[in-house]
This record gives sequence, C-alpha cells and structure tokens, in this order.
Amino acid sequence: MAKGSSKVVKGSGDGPNGDNIRLAEVGQALFIKALGVGIVALGISAVLGMNEKDGWNRFSHSYLVAFVWVMTIGAGALWWITIQNIVNSHWSTVIRRVGELIAANAPVLALLSLPVVLPLIMGNPVMYLWADADLMHKSHELANKIGYLNTTFFAIRFVAYFGFWTLLSRFFLKRSLGQDKETPEVAAKTVVSMRRLAGPAMIGFAITITFCAIDLIMSLDPKWFSTMFGVYYFASCVQAINASLALTLMWLQAKGRLTSSVTVHHFHDLGKMVFAFTIFWAYVGFSQFMLLWYANVPEETLWFKVRFANSWGTMSWALVFMHFVIPFFGLLSRHVKRNKKALAFWCIWQLVMIYVDMYWLVMPTLGVDEVPFALIDITCWIGVFALFIAGVAFRAKGLDLVAKNDPRLPDSLAFENI
Amino acid sequence: MAISDVNPYEAPPAGANMFARITDNVSRIAETPTPPRAWYIAFGFAQLLLVMFLGSLGWVIWTGIGAWGNMMPVAWGFPIVNFVFWIGIGHAGTLISAVLFLFRQNWRTAINRFAEAMTIFAVVCAGIFPGMHIGRPWMPYYMFPIPNQMDMWPQFRSPLEWDVFAVSTYATVSILFWYMGMIPDFATFRDRATTTVRRVAYGIVAMGWRGSSRQWHVYERAYLILAALATPLVLSVHSVVSFDFATAQLPGWHTTIFPPYFVAGAIFGGFAMVVTLAVPARQFFGLKRIITIRHLELMNKVIMATGLIVGYAYGMEFFVAYYSGNKYEVFTFVNRAFGPYGWAYWTMISCNVLFPQLHWIPKVRTNPWATLLIGMIVNVGMWFERFVIICTSLSRDFLPSSWGYFIPTPIDLMTLGGSFGLFFTLFLLFCRYLPMVAMAEVKAFSPAAHAHGDH
Amino acid sequence: MSDAKKPKGKPGPAPVHGLLAEYDTPPEILHAARKIREAGFTKWDTYTPFAVHGIDDAMGIKMTILPWFTLCAGLIGLATAITLQWWTNAFDYPWIVSGKPFWSIPANVPIMFELTVLLSAITTLVGMLMLNNLPHPSHPLDQVRRFARVTDDKFFLMIEASDPKFDEVETRELLESTHAHAIETVLEDRVTEEKMPAGLVYGLIIVAVASVVPFALAAKARYTKNATPRIHLIQDMDSQPKYKAQRANSFFADGHADRPEIDGTVAVGDSRDDDKFYKGKDGDTWTRTFPSQIALNDATMERGRQRFGIYCTPCHGQVGVGDGMVAKRADSLAQGTWIPPTNMTQEYLRQMPVGELFNSISNGVRNMPGYAAQIKTEDRWAIIMYVRALQRSRSGSVTDLPPDARASLK
Repeated sequence: MAKGSSKVVKGSGDGPNGDNIRLAEVGQALFIKALGVGIVALGISAVLGMNEKDGWNRFSHSYLVAFVWVMTIGAGALWWITIQNIVNSHWSTVIRRVGELIAANAPVLALLSLPVVLPLIMGNPVMYLWADADLMHKSHELANKIGYLNTTFFAIRFVAYFGFWTLLSRFFLKRSLGQDKETPEVAAKTVVSMRRLAGPAMIGFAITITFCAIDLIMSLDPKWFSTMFGVYYFASCVQAINASLALTLMWLQAKGRLTSSVTVHHFHDLGKMVFAFTIFWAYVGFSQFMLLWYANVPEETLWFKVRFANSWGTMSWALVFMHFVIPFFGLLSRHVKRNKKALAFWCIWQLVMIYVDMYWLVMPTLGVDEVPFALIDITCWIGVFALFIAGVAFRAKGLDLVAKNDPRLPDSLAFENI
Repeated sequence: MAISDVNPYEAPPAGANMFARITDNVSRIAETPTPPRAWYIAFGFAQLLLVMFLGSLGWVIWTGIGAWGNMMPVAWGFPIVNFVFWIGIGHAGTLISAVLFLFRQNWRTAINRFAEAMTIFAVVCAGIFPGMHIGRPWMPYYMFPIPNQMDMWPQFRSPLEWDVFAVSTYATVSILFWYMGMIPDFATFRDRATTTVRRVAYGIVAMGWRGSSRQWHVYERAYLILAALATPLVLSVHSVVSFDFATAQLPGWHTTIFPPYFVAGAIFGGFAMVVTLAVPARQFFGLKRIITIRHLELMNKVIMATGLIVGYAYGMEFFVAYYSGNKYEVFTFVNRAFGPYGWAYWTMISCNVLFPQLHWIPKVRTNPWATLLIGMIVNVGMWFERFVIICTSLSRDFLPSSWGYFIPTPIDLMTLGGSFGLFFTLFLLFCRYLPMVAMAEVKAFSPAAHAHGDH
Repeated sequence: MSDAKKPKGKPGPAPVHGLLAEYDTPPEILHAARKIREAGFTKWDTYTPFAVHGIDDAMGIKMTILPWFTLCAGLIGLATAITLQWWTNAFDYPWIVSGKPFWSIPANVPIMFELTVLLSAITTLVGMLMLNNLPHPSHPLDQVRRFARVTDDKFFLMIEASDPKFDEVETRELLESTHAHAIETVLEDRVTEEKMPAGLVYGLIIVAVASVVPFALAAKARYTKNATPRIHLIQDMDSQPKYKAQRANSFFADGHADRPEIDGTVAVGDSRDDDKFYKGKDGDTWTRTFPSQIALNDATMERGRQRFGIYCTPCHGQVGVGDGMVAKRADSLAQGTWIPPTNMTQEYLRQMPVGELFNSISNGVRNMPGYAAQIKTEDRWAIIMYVRALQRSRSGSVTDLPPDARASLK
C-alpha cells in the first residue's frame, strides 16, 4: 500500500486508491484556452515579424528557438518512455502514461515545425543559407556538403524524423492503452513486447534526434560542425522532459487528478534526474567548448567567438552560472527535491534556462552584435508552447492518465525513495 | 575436497537460513585451506605473464624507450594504447558500484565487489604505462606540484597533467570505496577466523566493526555520497583521458564527441572484462547461486547498450568528417578503413559493432560460455579501437613526407601480454584472501531481508 | 547464564554493561527496536549483519551530519585547485606554453573537478570513521560468544546499564516481551588489557622514527654539498657509441676524433671565387665600382636603407654622422674609454673605394666588429649604396636636385 495522503477526489475515481485519472472537463478547458492563446500569440508574432520587413528573418529565428525548445520536451518524452521500457522500470509506471501522452504529440510537433521547415524545403534561404543550391555550389567550403545539405534530402529526412517519432509514440501509447483492458497474463506479455521494441527504437531515436538537431540548429551555420552536437541537444531533452513531467504532475494534482498515486518519492526521482542532467549538460557543453577552445582552429572557434562578443558573452556566462552552478547547488539537497514548491521552482528555472540555451544556439546567426531579445521572442514561445499543450490536452481526451493494468503498478505506488 | 566440488546449497548446515548460506558460500572461498585446482593453474599462468612483464619493464628501464616500437611519427605507440585500454577496463567496476547503486539496480550486489577489485587492479596496470613511457621513470615526481630544485611547476594547461590528477583521484577514490565496502565483510571474516593470524589481520582492517545500526546509518550515507561522487568521477576520468587526444589538432583525434564516446567505450570494455572474470569465477568458486544467469544477461545488455553508443560515435565521426569538408579529416577516415592499418580497423569494427549484436538473441545472452567468448572478443576489439585511434592517425597525418608505419617490437608485445599477468595475479590473490562478494549487500537485498512484517 | 570470563586479579564480579537480546529475522528486530524506543530508552543500539531497511525510523536515528563534511571538503578542494593552478602557472612562474593564457580557466576546470571529488571522498570516508568512532578495537560485546554471529545471520539489541531507565529485572522483562530468541547479560570488559602491550608501543615508536629517516636523508641531500658525483644507476645514455669532440680515435695518426677540413674543400655552391663580389677586391686593389651582381636601382637602395637602419644606425646614427643611440649613451656615461663611431660623411670616406668600405663592414675595422656573419653579401653592397647616398646628401649642392624639387628649398 502506498504511503502518503489519502485525499481522494470524487470523480470517475477509477484510478489506483480511487484517484481521479481522467482530465475530463479540466482537459477540455485547457484545450480551448491553450488553443486560443496559441493562435493569438502566433498571430501577434506574425504581425511583429511582418513589421521587421526582413523577409521573415527575425520571425523565423524567434519561431525556431521556440520550436526547438518545445521539441526538447516532445522528443524528450519519446526518449523517456523508451528508456522506461528498456530498463523495465517499476517506479515510473504510475507516471508513464503522462509521458506517453506527451510523446504521442509528435504529429503536432511536425505541424508546428512547418513555419520553419516549409520555407526551407521550398528553397528559401532566409534562415538556412544552404537552401540556396547555387550558393552552395559556388562556395569553396560548402560545395562538398551539398550531398547532405540540399532541400530534397532534407525533406526526406524531415519525414523520416517525424514519421518515425509518430509511429513509435503511437505504438507505445496504443499498446499501453490496450493493456488497460487486458487480463493480467496478457498485460505481462504487453510489457515484454513494449520492451522488445524499445531497444531498436532507442537506436532509431538516437539517430533521428541527432540529425534533427544537426539539420535544424547546427546547419544554421553550415560551415561549423561538432560531433557532440546531437548529444548536447539530447542532454537538454532529458532535462526538459523530467522537469516538464514534474510540473505536469504537480498541475494534475492541483486539479485533483492522481492525488495519491503520485507521491513525493516519484517527484524526488524526477528531481534527481533534473539534477543529474544539469551536470550532464554542463559536462557535454564544457567538453564541446573546451576542445574547440584548446585546439584553436579558426573554422571551429568562429562559432564560439560570435557567442562571446558583447552581450552574447554575458549570455554565455549566464548559461554557465544560471544553467549549471546555481541549479547544481539548488537541487543538491534531497529536501529540495522532496518539496513540491522548491522542486517546481527549479524545474521552471531549468526550463527557462533551456530556452536561453536554445536562444544562444540559434539567434547569433541573425547576425546582430547584441542579444536582440524582444516581444516577438516571447509571443513565439507562448504560441508554440500553447499549441503544443493544446495538442496534448486534445490527445488525452477521454483517456486514463495511469496505466492502471500494468503489472508493475503496485510496485510503483509503493515506491519509496531513500 | 576442492571448493568446486561442493555445491553449498546441496548440503547446508542444519537449520541454516539464507543469510548464513550467503556468508558460508562466500567466506569458504577465502577460508578453505587449499583453493580449487583451477585457481592454481590460473595463478601459475599469471605468474609466467607477470615475470614476462617485469622482465620487459626492467629491460626498458635499463636500455631505454628504444626497446619499444615508438618512433616518429607514431610517438605514442603501445604504451599509451595499453594505458587507455586498462583505464577503460577499470571503469566498469565503478559503474557497477556507483552508478548502478544510484539507479537502485540491486542485482549489482552479486558482482560489485570483484568488479571494484578489478577496477583497482586495472588502474594499477594502467598507471605503470605513463610512468614508464616518460623515458626517465625515476623522475615521475615532476608531474606533481612538488617544490623542486628548478623552482618549476607542472604545466597545468596540458591534458597530460589533468590525466595525472584524474587517474590519481580515480585510484584513490576507488580504493576508498572498495575498502569501505569491505569493512563489514572483513568483520565477518574476523568473526569466523579460526587462527589468531587471520583474526588479527582481518580484525585490523575491519576496524572493530560490529554492525551497530547507528554506525550502519552513517555508513550507508557515506556509501551513497561516495557513489554520488564516484559517478561523475568515472565520467570525468575517461573524459580527461580522451582530452589527451581531442585537444590536439590531429585529424581523427580532434573531435568533440570524444569524451562521452571514450566513457561509453570504457564501460563497454570494462563490462566485457567483468563477464570474462565472472563466468569462470562463478564456475570454479561455486558462486552460481549468487552470480546467476540473470546477472550475466543484464551485464550482456549493458554491453550491448554501450557497444551501440560506441557505434553511434563511430558513425558521428564518420558523418562529420564528410560534413566538415576538411580533406585531412576525410582522408583519415578513408585511410583507417583502407590504408595500411585497415586490418586493425576491420578487427575493431567486427569485434565492437558486429559480434555484440549476437546478444539480441536471448539464447546467446543467457549462455555463460557465449557470454565469456563475446566478452573476450569485445576486449580485443576495444584494444584495437585505441590502437586504431592512436597509431593510424599518427602514422599518416598532414604531410605525406612525415608518414611512417609503426611496427611493435617483441618487447611491446611482451609488455602488453605481461600486463595481464599483473592484473590476474592481483585478482587471483584478491579472490583467495579477500571477500569476493559483498556479503552484507547481497544479504540486504535478498528476499529474506525484505519481509515487511508490520510496517 | 552469562558466558563472560571472570576478570583477572580484580575482586568480585564485573559490573553489568548491559542486556543483550538476540533475534533471527529483520521484522523481529524492527518490532523490538520500536518497542524499546517507545519505552523511552536512550543508551541502546541494535546490531545487524546488514543495514536493515526501516531500522533508522524504528530507532529514531537522526540524519547524520556527514554530508556537510563532504560539502565543506568539496568546496575546499575546489578552492585549492583554483589557487594551485593560478599561483603556479600565472603568478609564481608564468611561462608561455601551448599558446594559452597564463590563467586559463577552461584548461583549469578538469583539475578543479578532480580535486573537489578527491577531497570530498577522503573526507567522507574519514568522516564516516570518525562519526562511527572507528577504529574501535575492543568492546564488551566481544566477550559474548553468540555475538560473533552478528556479522553472519543474527540480529541483536543491547540496552546499556548506563541508561537512566535501565533496571536489571524490568528491562529483562521488556526484552522478553519482544520475543527475543535469547537474552544475556553483558559484563564490562575486564579481560582485555587497558594499556597497549609494551611490544606494540615500542614497535610503533621504532616505525615512527624509521619513517622519518628517508625524509631526513632527502633533506640532507638537498641542503648539503658533496664533492663526489651523485649515484647514477642507469648508465645507458652515458656512454653512447659515437664520437664526440675532443675524444680520442686511434684510427688517425694524430689520435683525434675531430678532423680538420681538407685543404681546398669547398661546399657545393659555396666556391666564392668572385673576389670583387665577395671581397671587394679588383686584383690587388680595392674596387671602385659595384660588382655586376648588384643592380643599382631603387629596390637595392631601399634594401640598403632598411639594412642600414637595422645594423648600422645604433652606432653610426640615422644619417651616418656617428650619433647613434650607443654613441650617445657612451657619451653620457663619459667613462673616457669610448672611441666614437666614424662619421661616414667625412671627405676621406667619400673618397674611399667601395671595395674598402665593403671590407670594413665584412671584417671590421678598429673597434667595429665584422658583420660578415650577420649580413648577406648582397645586403652589404646595398648598404654601401645607401651610405653613398648619405654621403651625397651631406655634401651635395642645389644643382644636384631636380629642378622641381629646388622650389621646396626656398
């Protein structure tokens, strides 16, 4: 039996311990609000973007930052459910369905990418220089990459990434939902079948997330390259999903769902992962930086040089201290990880810092000397994020928020963290 | 009667419970007056290799580095390949002790003790190589910030200096962690000792441990802290080793993914060595009920996972070599596969990428002998990976006029083979005299320990 | 009843140290622990073969302060690493190497991390031992034979007699109510010697003294002088099979290993038989014309000006009158030993053949050293061309200037 409070909200109440495990009217309200906010915010962004009169350059950059930030959560969710299946994790069973629902939002993610991806495929070089095949052929350094950096191959890859993520997330959600209605013996077999797929799925995920990050972010500066780039983006994905899951579960509990199934022990573990990947992100980021700094090869260091000039340099230092040093000490104590308010603070902090990180990756290619943070960045972020949330709320309609028939669920409910 | 003839669970002492059986099964190995015959055979063989090792090292100290095959342009030959190889092997022990502990993988308790021992012995073997390859091995103190007659200090901006600190820290922390883990088991040996020598010897190292719960509380907290410290440490050590290469501008070396790639490779090779040791150990020391097929299967899965990460890194290097358009980089990778060292490259690919895929098949990963074979293949592959990285990139770098083909001398080969002698000598001595399995931990996670009465 | 041995030599039985209860399974000890805690005892403990899950709560053990030790040690390690690297490489002996700044923070990070971990880990272990009062060589429980199974499979609980609530009878009844497998009285330890054996003490003193010896020897070697060469074990680089300067070689009649140049030997391309170009000689006299290899054009003049500026101006000055920096300094020192550099614009030097000027530059004259080793032959001729221009500049007339330049003189 689980430790913890015995608050039971009356509702459908068919979850563990009589918890309410349907979003129901809350979900409906969320969907409408998020959709509305999203459309309005994106509309404002479009207007602001048009006002710049720069061929949508500023808008594209702001939008891309917002999109890749949301992608850390969306792709991170897919990674998260895959790894939970690979290692046959028991503790996370009660929260896995929420992860599956976020991951299943991959088609929405694909749609949300279109404002950036479609112009690219159509050959508009406003953000991605390499969309212009002539320029590529003429350039001494870029000509050899044209086999990879061309719009046709990119279109195929784009379909591959989001197609793979869609198929994979649908498989996991479908199997998981099917398990809700199965007998215990069949449910146990479903666990095995999901685990069997998770291994090869992880290989596919590693390849797709790496090349998606390379295509969308690294190729903004087609002359620069780093073998670590996929790993760097991945580190943010893991941190983002763990932080988002913690916040989502806190929100659900505030709305009266999963109130006693998800305990302080689960939050503690999510907090541990946010902490661990704060360190991992710093490790990856430092390695990437230090190696390029040390060898001092101009074609590699130029990318960092741009990011150390003027206020970009301030942002770089801000990333070191505010994305690593301060959250490291903040999340060190187990008491912080077991206190919902404190944990929520640090999760929001890290999600904001992931946004700063994405901004730092993308914006310098706008070619401005100083950090150009403006309203358009905020409205793009609100727009993309709100539409993503709307997608999740829509997908979760009528579905149980807990994999209530998973044979590992009792262990998950009784889970205690030292 | 040799220990291998006795199945401890066939004829347990009357009324013995699970805890007593665990104690007995493990303690017997160190208490039996004569170890199993297999131990003697292995020890004899290890001694031969050890003599060969000490002989080759002595010869190099006496005549100089010229006894090795190191030459321009391949100035870093076998010694550094061996160094990275052995340090990598050590990483699995720390991973099993520390990282699997943090992830609450309780199956680790059956193997963590001898995996940690393996770490320490591997680090000992590893540390000898940089000490020797500096040319004047009687002057290694230059690498430490000790006031000296020249008023000079080490060059802290060099990855080679970071290595000194990283490997020293790793050796120290591993020994501390290993020792701390053994305190309760030393107490067990002390309390079961039948001779005064054994009682005093184990008593001293047990420090007077009596299992007080108040002491267990502090102990467990210390264990958790050391595990939490050892985890980033193990990541950092092989990352610092990878910095030795990645900070250079040499094609094939200068690539940002080296740190996590090396760490994954280290864990890969290390686990392969753990299974190489675990399969015979459980067979000849009667530990099959403690180190079960399930343990082997889980270790094989880790081998597969880390092998795939290594494969991912190979792929990324290859892709970015193309993407960068740097003709030296492109040449390096073409040269690796099709140049004069192509045989080493394809050995590496088949051993590291192809063979471990056999573990997708459940029958293979649950078979101890297949496990052993693939473990040894992976170790060979990981040695070749370091050889390919170091020797291939150095032998053909920017200027064709500087190219040269490195050939190891017999001393090189004897030093490499002999280092296994040192490793196995230490490991077999450990098996004979020290608690091979973490008894207290195995008991703590056995089913009998978890009966929740009136919780 | 009690297994304890009778004390040696002391009258009467040993005082009671406490009551020990034995249990067989974890749930039993947890249950017992809870009961004892509820009964309000403070000086008691349980003893188990492994850390029993839940016993901390059952006994009311408070969280240890060990993590704070670790945190402090880690910060000290970090500070040490930063200070060490800054002080050694950027302050005490900064030297340029690998093109990195003296204080390179990115390059210092790995060691900062390692020392943080090293100090934290050592402190954690030492702190754990200290907080646990280890090593703890002897304890009254060592006299209880059944207690040896605490490291095997039995669980024990002991309440000490020094606890205020302890009573031999009531406490025993309480323990019996916890369904202990066995209960024993533990007596104070009167068997174990309280003093360390003399042999051990002497042994430790000897070891302590002996361990100082190597350091003393090292200090002696460091701070004293010695006429004999140091001991040099590995001889392999000392006698290399090759000939060095000043070595003997019996192959040659004179026994030397160095051989002089064979007369008339000239390196390929080095024959230097053009006396005019290489020596400034025209037969037996100094040449008055420039050699044909020297093109008398603006480029040569410019080269001569540049070379003159490098090699000649320190003594002879910018216009060759002998007022260079070195000359001025020597004048200001007024030591009375200085012979001033020649004023090259004097009449006799204007008349001097270029070949003789060439000889002066190449081989030196009076106090001026020869510059043949520093200045290439072509450059020396270029300098002479420039010197001629300087001489002309000091002795020319208005008619030497082109007509359009004359106007600027007005």
